[in-house]
Amino acid sequence: MFARNGTQPALIGGLAVVAHQVVRATQDVDFLLEAEAADQVHGALLNLGYQCLYRSEDAANYVRAAEGLDLLYAHRPLARRLLAQASERDTPMGRMRIISVEGLIGFKLQGYVNDATRTRDLDDIRALLKIHRTSLNMDELREYFALFNQPELLHELLG
Amino acid sequence: MNFSDNTDTSAEAAPTRAVSIPVLAREAGVPFQPMLDSASGVDPIAEWLSLMEVVQMLCPVWPVRDTPMQGKNWRI
Repeated sequence: MFARNGTQPALIGGLAVVAHQVVRATQDVDFLLEAEAADQVHGALLNLGYQCLYRSEDAANYVRAAEGLDLLYAHRPLARRLLAQASERDTPMGRMRIISVEGLIGFKLQGYVNDATRTRDLDDIRALLKIHRTSLNMDELREYFALFNQPELLHELLG
Repeated sequence: MNFSDNTDTSAEAAPTRAVSIPVLAREAGVPFQPMLDSASGVDPIAEWLSLMEVVQMLCPVWPVRDTPMQGKNWRI
């Protein structure tokens, strides 16, 4: 569907957490998408039977039966860079682009800062830090935590 | 998800028991992180698909989330 609409989104959210080796149950699928493709993809999803629950310039939520599909729109330079740098991988569900671990932690932090009841985001960050600690770009991570005025939270999660 | 333990020391002595061994034995109550990388040949998404089969057997109807992504701190 995305390819037919001329866009190549990257996997973020719980399934990207799985792709980065933290296997946990999740049913929703989340993608980071070029903001310019938002209208076209919105129309395509409605044609596929999805119902739009919410849509803003930053994000959109869709459901179809029990399936949830969330989109984040990349329109700021940081998100555009993360989208451009997403790596391609063959998966049992086909070839997919997946956001970097550092970028995923940044988006998880954004989700948590926006809604502090999303403690699963913190659990995901903690698990990703634990598994990838030796290979993470710590400068990039510090940049994300500083962006949300949460530098001490990074220390806490690493502790 | 592969719950079985490859160190099968009891298979010859108790073949009928060996059949029933792959039952959450290795993970039960113990923090466990399987090696999930190209070297191990284990694909985390294949593991997730397997996990979700089990989850859906245990919980066939998941609650549909009806709250949108909220907040005003979109900075990335």
